Amino acid sequence: MFRSFADWLATTRLSLLFQNQLWIVPTSQSIHIVCVCLVFSSAIMINLRLLGIGVKGRSISQLSASLVPWMWGGLCVLLLTGTVQTIAEPVRQFVTPAFWAKMGMILIVMGMTVVFARKVRANAARWDAAGSRPPSARAFAIASSILWVLIVVCGRFIGYTWAFYV
Amino acid sequence: MNLDTFLTWIEDLPLSSAIRGASAGTEWLFPIIETLHVLTLAVVFGSIVMVDLRLVGLTGRGTSVSRLTDETLPWTWTAWVISAITGTLMFMSKAVTYYGNFQFRMKFVFMALAALNMLIFHFGAYRRVGLWDTAVPPTSARIAGALSIGFWVAVIFFGRWIGFTT
Repeated sequence: MFRSFADWLATTRLSLLFQNQLWIVPTSQSIHIVCVCLVFSSAIMINLRLLGIGVKGRSISQLSASLVPWMWGGLCVLLLTGTVQTIAEPVRQFVTPAFWAKMGMILIVMGMTVVFARKVRANAARWDAAGSRPPSARAFAIASSILWVLIVVCGRFIGYTWAFYV
Repeated sequence: MNLDTFLTWIEDLPLSSAIRGASAGTEWLFPIIETLHVLTLAVVFGSIVMVDLRLVGLTGRGTSVSRLTDETLPWTWTAWVISAITGTLMFMSKAVTYYGNFQFRMKFVFMALAALNMLIFHFGAYRRVGLWDTAVPPTSARIAGALSIGFWVAVIFFGRWIGFTT
C-alpha cells in the first residue's frame, strides 16, 4: 500500500542525503536507543511501582510527576530520529509489518499513559495511599509493560524481517 | 595457545555456530539474544542515568541519594548481568571479528571508564553520603554523575556502531 510512496521518498534529495552520509543512520539509531532506554526504564519503573515491587522512595504521584516529562521528551526525540531513519530507508520501514505493529502499539500505550497520568493527578492522595492499589492500576501496569516490551521487540525486528517483504 | 587460536576455538564451538544461525532453525537465535540485550541495557542505562541526574543535581532535588541508589542498584546489576550474558553469547558467534573491531573495543574501554568512575565515586564522595544525602551533592559527585552519563552514552553509541562495522 505504501510501497509507491516509499519508493518515491527514497528518491528525494533528503533521503539521498541521509543515505549517502553514512554516519547519519547509525548516529540517529544510537540517539534513538538512548531515548528508548529513558522511556522504557521510566515506564517500567512506574509500572513496577504500581505493582508494588518497584522503588519505594517516592510516592506514585511524585514518581510519575518526575518521570513522565522525561518520557514525553524521550518520545519526541524518538519520533524525530525515527523520522530521520524512515526518510533514509523508507522501503525498509513501510513494507515491514513489525513497523506498523510498533506504530500502532506506541499510539495505544501513549493513549493509555495519558489517561493514567490524568487519573493519578486527579486522585494523587488515593493513589499514594499504601495498600490501596486500584485493580485498574495493576491492569494498566501489566498491559503497559507488555506493550513497551513488544514495541522494543518490534523495533529490533524491523531490521531482521524487512528483507522478507521487499 | 595464543589469543587468535583461542578466539577461533570459541567461534568453532557448536553453540557459537548455532547463534550465528549456521544451521537450519537457528537463524532467530541471534535476533532474540540481541533483543534481550537491548531490553536489559535499557534498564541498565535508565537506572544509572536516574542516579546520575540526581547526583548532577538536575532532578529529584531534596530526595535521598542513598535511598535512590539502594533501590535502583539491584535492578542495574541484574540487568547488567543479563546484558553481559547476552553480549557474551553474541560475541562468541563471531569472536575473531568482534575482537578486532574498533567500535567493539571502544565500547569496552568506555565501560571500563564507567566502572572506574563508579568505583572512585563509591569509595570517595559516597562514603560520606550521610552528610549530603538530601542536599546538593559535592562537586566530585556531580562530576562523577556527569561523566557516568557521558561514558554510558558512548557505550551505547559504540555498541550500535558495531552492527554497522562488522
